[in-house]
Amino acid sequence: MSGENQGGAIVPYSEEAKKPVVYPLRHGLKPPISRLGISWSRGNSLRVTVFRQPSEDSENEVGGKAVEVRLDGRDGEISDAQWRRIAYGSVSPFALLQSRKNSFASLSKISSTTSPFDAEWWEYVLEYSKDISSLLGNQTSTTQSLIEDPKEVLKKDPEPSNLKAAWELMESFYADKLSQAWLPERLVDWLADYDSLFSSTQETVHSKLVDFQKDLVSLQVIEDEPKYWEVMSSALAVGWLDIVVKLLRLHGSYQLDQLGNRETENGLVEAVAVLISKMPRMRPELEAGKLGECFKAKPDFMKAWEKWRAQIAKLECSTFWIQCAHRQTQEGLRNMLQIMLGNTNNLCTLTCHWMELYIAHFLYIRPFTVGLESMYGLAQKCIQLKPMAASHRLMGLLIGILGENIEVVLAECSKGFGPWMVTHAIEVLTAGSHQADTLLHEERDNLGGISMEELHRLVYAQVLSSHPLTWQIAPIYLTSCIKQGMGLLEMLLYKQPVDHNQLLLKNLEICRLYELDSVSSNIMKHGKKGSGVYWLQQARDEARLNRIAQQMFDSVGRSISDENFRQWEGLIQLLGSEPKTAGGLEFLHNYRDFKKSLLQIRDGKTTDAARQAVESLISLMKNPCTPQRFWLPLLHDSLKLLNWEERPLLNVLQTNLLLNKLQELSIARLRPDFIEADLPPHALSSVRLALATNLGRTTLEEQ
Amino acid sequence: MAITGVRTPPQVHRFPQSKYIDAVRWLPPLSPLSKLAVLAIYDTDADSPSLETHSISLPASLTPHSQWTPPTRISSLSTSHQSLVAASTLSGSLHVLSSAMQVLLSVDENSGFHVGPISGVDLTGSECVSVGEDGRVNLVSVIGGGEFKRVYDGNGLVGFNCVKWASPTEFVTGGFGYGLQWWDLRRAGSGGPVLQFKGNFGSQGKASGMIHSVDIHPSRKHTCLAGGSSGTVFAWDLRWQQQSIVLSGVGTGEAVTHSLSESEVWEVQYDCHTKSSNISSSRVLPAMFCSEDGILAVVEQGEEPFELLAEPCAINSFDIDPQNPSDVICSLEWESIAIVSRP
Repeated sequence: MSGENQGGAIVPYSEEAKKPVVYPLRHGLKPPISRLGISWSRGNSLRVTVFRQPSEDSENEVGGKAVEVRLDGRDGEISDAQWRRIAYGSVSPFALLQSRKNSFASLSKISSTTSPFDAEWWEYVLEYSKDISSLLGNQTSTTQSLIEDPKEVLKKDPEPSNLKAAWELMESFYADKLSQAWLPERLVDWLADYDSLFSSTQETVHSKLVDFQKDLVSLQVIEDEPKYWEVMSSALAVGWLDIVVKLLRLHGSYQLDQLGNRETENGLVEAVAVLISKMPRMRPELEAGKLGECFKAKPDFMKAWEKWRAQIAKLECSTFWIQCAHRQTQEGLRNMLQIMLGNTNNLCTLTCHWMELYIAHFLYIRPFTVGLESMYGLAQKCIQLKPMAASHRLMGLLIGILGENIEVVLAECSKGFGPWMVTHAIEVLTAGSHQADTLLHEERDNLGGISMEELHRLVYAQVLSSHPLTWQIAPIYLTSCIKQGMGLLEMLLYKQPVDHNQLLLKNLEICRLYELDSVSSNIMKHGKKGSGVYWLQQARDEARLNRIAQQMFDSVGRSISDENFRQWEGLIQLLGSEPKTAGGLEFLHNYRDFKKSLLQIRDGKTTDAARQAVESLISLMKNPCTPQRFWLPLLHDSLKLLNWEERPLLNVLQTNLLLNKLQELSIARLRPDFIEADLPPHALSSVRLALATNLGRTTLEEQ
Repeated sequence: MAITGVRTPPQVHRFPQSKYIDAVRWLPPLSPLSKLAVLAIYDTDADSPSLETHSISLPASLTPHSQWTPPTRISSLSTSHQSLVAASTLSGSLHVLSSAMQVLLSVDENSGFHVGPISGVDLTGSECVSVGEDGRVNLVSVIGGGEFKRVYDGNGLVGFNCVKWASPTEFVTGGFGYGLQWWDLRRAGSGGPVLQFKGNFGSQGKASGMIHSVDIHPSRKHTCLAGGSSGTVFAWDLRWQQQSIVLSGVGTGEAVTHSLSESEVWEVQYDCHTKSSNISSSRVLPAMFCSEDGILAVVEQGEEPFELLAEPCAINSFDIDPQNPSDVICSLEWESIAIVSRP
């Protein structure tokens, strides 16, 4: 599919998407199946509803079944809950890095000398990388038992994950500038931590060690066992020196009762052990418990290396070997010396896959390798010599990195580890090189004008927003997308269900943070009457509030004896004191006072209350906010006031006002759009009669 | 103002749960060496709610103890000194359980109890009061076997978010428009609240807000503590009904108050651990709140607020241990529990 015919798609489809993927369905229904229904379910799942053809003979059969199909091809090593934990944890480091990036950008506008590739900048990136890495699993276990088991050669590490292994590769090659000078040694450490990840598809040095560890307890004379020597040599080839030395010290000649007659043999074993532990390493430091001598400067290292090799060569030619009676020991030790001298054949047979062979080359054949180009060349050679049994996503990534092909690295991250990895790794990648920076930030027409960086963030945000617990994180990534982010954020917010208030408020909080006022006011419009009015007030939607006021008036105005009046009171109270925000509802507030007085009259017949009611009635009728269609119901409610027994309550002026309103109403009734109030047919005439009577009485009184 | 010296930061223990925690409450401990808490849990992937007790021994462990499956997601949780748990659901049912998660009583949503979700419950002694957005206020007696008594029915025209007992016959509710209502069962004949308060904290373009949580101190039942929108925490003293004392929030206008949070305050509680420097009956006792923007803090009238937690995600619920008030348990938006131990 080419870029042009993808039309409005924000996320372009990859070529792979065209390959059909088969998901077997286990619905357990007897054929014939007559109908299928397919709809989206939670997250990345499809809900497939399967219906059987209804038949008479099988009444007890289930008529249909709904099954969920998970579409994502996520690896099983990280559970959904763990993914969410990683997503939560990466928010803070990501946001911190973005804000630092922004302040760096504003600084570099002022002075052109600072560029984001300054020393200070990559320290921030390294800090970010370490924060992310710490989310992906524990560092090699630090809990060591006080009494060390001499026969436990392989420490039980918490299960390493491919994701963490991949992140560490990215960190070593792109984020950690200090490690650039000793990349081969970093790879040695990396393989020591993660070799077990390859054990599932093929034999590895790690798996050999695990197997041997099991046999170790039952072995009586360890040095007679050919496997002992083989495993040790393999471990030596990949540079696990501490394990090798530990194994060597299990040699029978160390036992006190044998020391006397195996003195020479023991001397040779110990000499090899010492040589191993003194191996010069081109690196600043070693973890506690690891063996070797560290050199930071290359000349020093070269000198030490030559000296060390000379010592090995000297031991190799020593005459002591003839005096060594134990054949296996003699052969085994000399084999190990051959490894240290860089015998290609030995290294090739003792390692299990190209990466192990590659490490062996760094350690014993080409310890002075520098630069990605030569590292890449060496990797190609090793792959030819000892290909892996099955392709592995970590190897794809490593080759991409060594080949200095940013696009391949991105593709491998995406394919092997998903959108989370790409989005977060991009930060490390762009810090690593100008080339990556330009490539990822360049706006591309085939992506609808957005950059690769933005594309991947958008994809990740989509993944986050597909889950009810992680969608709240999506805005953090969306707002870092300059072009499409805010638009998608608005869509995301509109799409969120607002089942209950708490969820709604959480949505609104995001609107507040990102200043999306129009979205928030739209989200607010839902709910029950009481809360509905509340939300409309919050949204400042006067038109809707007015409409509600009319509806409310209809229900409240029906009859004064309505038992529900007290409840309306609460609602009107809510509306009351903020005339501006309540809009046309202001008259409801007056109406409440009017109703209250009427109720009091009904209960106790006090003239004071009646006077108050009249005042409310007049202010209601005077107020231009009071809609015309409520005039008649109001007047009809006040019949009792108009016909007050003791004395007329309205003066001439007031009665005239009401009569005028009544007149206006009679004219309005002739218009076709007039809405007739829900009142008895004689309402108008009885109001008119009452007003006329009142006018008569009040005129008489005033005279 | 008292000199607030450098305070030792509290110890925080976090327990990731991999499920959403809707609410947390302490329960009286089963043994002297461990603590007990009840969690309202919701598994989003399986769409299944649960109510679980966990025994906690600090610093490191949180172990599930007993469990019960409610019909729908839990909307509000309340515990009593007698180790009883009252839980209301989004579908409108109410359940009272023992701390071993044995159901003692259930009020079905189909019995005309509430319409829609119950938003607040409070359990004291043997009486449980429930309120909802439907505007109903109901009383359930734990010894009454599932019968309920309707105190008020607002028919959805008014709605309540939270409720708290003040005495065996009085309680306070909170709802929309920063509204607080005081109810007295002895004067139930009147059909509505005895006293009402409507806050006016509108400023910065915010029209109004709602109350999410109320609390009443047993020794000062005339002062209601309330927390709600826009980071507002205030006290309403029944003796001066028309005013309120703002402890935190954006909105009092002229008087600049301390404000740690600008978003929803989900829960408030009087904090008996923080010793007030000025114990006069006219001063509001120290209070703790948690908020949508991830703040757990102590506020006191006329004092600098003190932040216990500032999380990157919302703190949805918290509870101060009545047995040992230095310990606070809270539930975080990102599927975890945090226990804050104050020195």
